[in-house]
Amino acid sequence: MADVSLKHVYKVYPNGTKAVNDFNMEIRDKEFIVFVGPSGCGKSTTLRMIAGLEDISAGELKIGELIVNDMEPKDRDIAMVFQNYALYPHMTVYENIAFGLRLRKLPKDDIHKKVVEAAEILGITDYLDKKPKEMSGGQRQRVALGRAIVREPKVMLLDEPLSNLDAKLRTQMRAEISKLHTKLQTTFIYVTHDQVEAMTMGTRIVVMKDGFVQQIDTPKNLYSYPANKFVAGFIGTPQMNFFEGTLLKTGDSVAIKFDNSDAEITVPYSLLYKAKPAYLDGKKKVIIGLRAEDISLAKENIKNSKAVIKVKISHKEELGSETIIYGDINMEGDGYGESPTRVIIKDGGERDFSAGETVEAALNIEHIHLFDKDTEQSVLPRVPEFNDVECEVKDGKLSFCGVELELPQAVKCEDLKGELLIPTDAILFDGKWKADVVSCENAGGVNLSALRLNGNRLYAVSTEAVESKSVKIGIDFKKITVVSEGEEKISPMPQTNGFPCKFVKKKTRELAEVNGKMKKKKIVRFGFEIGDAFFETTDETSQKIFAALGIKKSFTAALRMECGADNLSVSEVGIAAEAVRTLDYGTEKYLACAVGDNTVYVKTDKEYSGSICLLPDLAQVGIVETEREIKII
Amino acid sequence: MGVKKKYRSKKGAERACLALIYIVLGVISLIWLIPFLLLIVQSFRGESSGMSMNYVFPEQWTFDNYIRLFTETKFLRWYGNTLLVSVVVTIIQTVIVLMTSYALSRLRFKLRKPLMNLMLILGMFPGFLSMTAVYFILKEINLTQNLVGLMLVYSASSAMQYYICKGFFDTIPKSLDEAARIDGASRHTVFVKIILPLAKPIIIYTVLSAFIAPWGEYMFSSFIMLGDSDHFTVAVGMKMWLEKESVNEYFTVFCAAAVVVSIPITALFIWLQRYYVEGITGGSVKG
Repeated sequence: MADVSLKHVYKVYPNGTKAVNDFNMEIRDKEFIVFVGPSGCGKSTTLRMIAGLEDISAGELKIGELIVNDMEPKDRDIAMVFQNYALYPHMTVYENIAFGLRLRKLPKDDIHKKVVEAAEILGITDYLDKKPKEMSGGQRQRVALGRAIVREPKVMLLDEPLSNLDAKLRTQMRAEISKLHTKLQTTFIYVTHDQVEAMTMGTRIVVMKDGFVQQIDTPKNLYSYPANKFVAGFIGTPQMNFFEGTLLKTGDSVAIKFDNSDAEITVPYSLLYKAKPAYLDGKKKVIIGLRAEDISLAKENIKNSKAVIKVKISHKEELGSETIIYGDINMEGDGYGESPTRVIIKDGGERDFSAGETVEAALNIEHIHLFDKDTEQSVLPRVPEFNDVECEVKDGKLSFCGVELELPQAVKCEDLKGELLIPTDAILFDGKWKADVVSCENAGGVNLSALRLNGNRLYAVSTEAVESKSVKIGIDFKKITVVSEGEEKISPMPQTNGFPCKFVKKKTRELAEVNGKMKKKKIVRFGFEIGDAFFETTDETSQKIFAALGIKKSFTAALRMECGADNLSVSEVGIAAEAVRTLDYGTEKYLACAVGDNTVYVKTDKEYSGSICLLPDLAQVGIVETEREIKII
Repeated sequence: MGVKKKYRSKKGAERACLALIYIVLGVISLIWLIPFLLLIVQSFRGESSGMSMNYVFPEQWTFDNYIRLFTETKFLRWYGNTLLVSVVVTIIQTVIVLMTSYALSRLRFKLRKPLMNLMLILGMFPGFLSMTAVYFILKEINLTQNLVGLMLVYSASSAMQYYICKGFFDTIPKSLDEAARIDGASRHTVFVKIILPLAKPIIIYTVLSAFIAPWGEYMFSSFIMLGDSDHFTVAVGMKMWLEKESVNEYFTVFCAAAVVVSIPITALFIWLQRYYVEGITGGSVKG
């Protein structure tokens, strides 16, 4: 019964292979978390790091309130179930279950009571005197579960526990593990490569690939709002259909054109509001994702739908309650191999279709998914990154969406006509323009409000839900971008400043009181060196660096200190810098300074010029090892 | 009908094949056993004609050789020496080999591979190359003509015998160690409570090989004991009887001694062999 927190956790093998990259997650008490992904994606490695069977290369792992990076597995108060059961073959089932309790020197009576209780929960009371080799796979896995639950651990770790069982037993055990979770009321972390297991059991799912976390969300959200093509294809059976094509926005409608096919449909722009505007130009290639259940062959749907395409049926799979129909939107295609024109349709079996037939199919555009063809990231995200609106700058005034405002000094530019990109988090709820709130939904931890400003739709995120009908909004000029004729005329201020630095050890002799007398004493200090400036670190920080890099490498590795503009201040001592200019954003002022070849930004109220010194707030900075791009703090 | 016939003939062929195998094996084992049988028979021979004789079975059967062995010679003393040395060396060597093998099988440390290779290569050199050096070292610390010195020499290179044992440990799934460590066991507890009970066959093997080597070793012990007949081991003492001047007198006694020497090893093997066969890891992991 504990929270588990992973912060910037990495696993890097000595040969340089990164098995896990920057894993961040807060697991709440009593959650059932499933790590899912193809083999080699780092899910088991992550679990083994939580268990303590694998060293953590960098990052911080907390179980409950304790940092457990260097703690022995036995002291972490966790239990683990292995794929191959890992029962002790020379012990009986009873001894197997009691082993952990005996090592903890519990009184005999207590052990007996607990073992019998666990055996009852799992229905293995009759086998307590048997040896593991006399039991079947399912029974052995129950014993392994029993061994884990008697210890009443804070966290239960399960590493593909059902992979060695046959299909029927697996379904049964799946239900039993879910039941166990409800009964034990403890945190479960479950690793599997089977998306069905993940979807049915997890309260939240972590989808991983190649050592990177792809998406962390509830099963329903993963299904409805996949963050990229990989997640979209991995979750759900049959696999999502992926077509290639282009989108062209004209007025209030968007034309979707499918490549290698004659298919073209036109849908109202309101369905694709959240799509990134850059992809609506009719040239940029996108991947169009539609699930098999969102394509219908039913007559009723075709009659009512405007998004109808032609499909040539190639073959089908009768599953009894439904039929999976395979086809191709390219009349020349064969529908067998995985291609950008192959289409899979889940059909209710209203009428019989024969191979080779060409039929009409209605697409449910409300459930369409769009991905970039190269990056495979969603371009129709649940929470859009930017609002893209047309704008005009004239005489130092910026006008967009029917409003006009004075550009502050920091972002002054010449007259132009172009596009204004306002990040959704740059819309502030304390401005002077009145906007109507169309809707507000909670989307993965943030509140996304759809606003209407003079008839134009804008999206804004906020930490608190917006309940009123209308709000007054403004924009944060630090974050906006204005593009005109392919050139960035106004650029956002970088969110973080980076300082190349080194971790150093300094030995000094200082006067200190020893046994009541003032004596010179040798003192060793650790800290970061940026140019000539030295910042002493706390013991905790030093330990983290030693743990991540090893003692020797800590002093040689190239590091980067990352520090937001708000966490830097101008001071008497610190990093030597040249003040370049003051940026006035209206309500706030920032100072752009040159440190070496870099430009850094500092929040300040005063004007400076010439040489100054910068002082970072060490409690807020991040430290990155630049060679492997590992975030240590 | 035809199918049945075919089936039968197949079975017949199988049987014939098996019979042939057993005949060959029988002949081979007979050839192997002849020297031993000869030795036993000779140990009961009454007439003394040294090694030069042209018949197999003795004309006169007697127990005299055994009586002479225990009354007239220092054999009992040598036997005791050898037994003491072998038992002590067996214990030391078994413990060291098991621990080294476990460490090399489970722990990953720097220079693990080079260390393993080094040990393997060092083991390829015959031990007697270092004999003179070892002798002088022992002499400096006053351990020549001393059984402790001999024990030291025999158990010194124990760790180099890790290879077979490590191979066995490698077959025990690592997840057993991991499960036990999560259950609350330290590395030491894992070794003692999980690994050792599963490693019975290889412990037996290690014990046997650790016992046999010093039991019959000649070179080092003859060199270290140099002339001190009170500290001889059986091999050194018995070799003395086969010298030109004594062979005629002691040959039959030698045969009797050889029979007595083979008893502990045979007994040890018979006692331990049942563990040899048992497959113990069954049922631990997927199956």
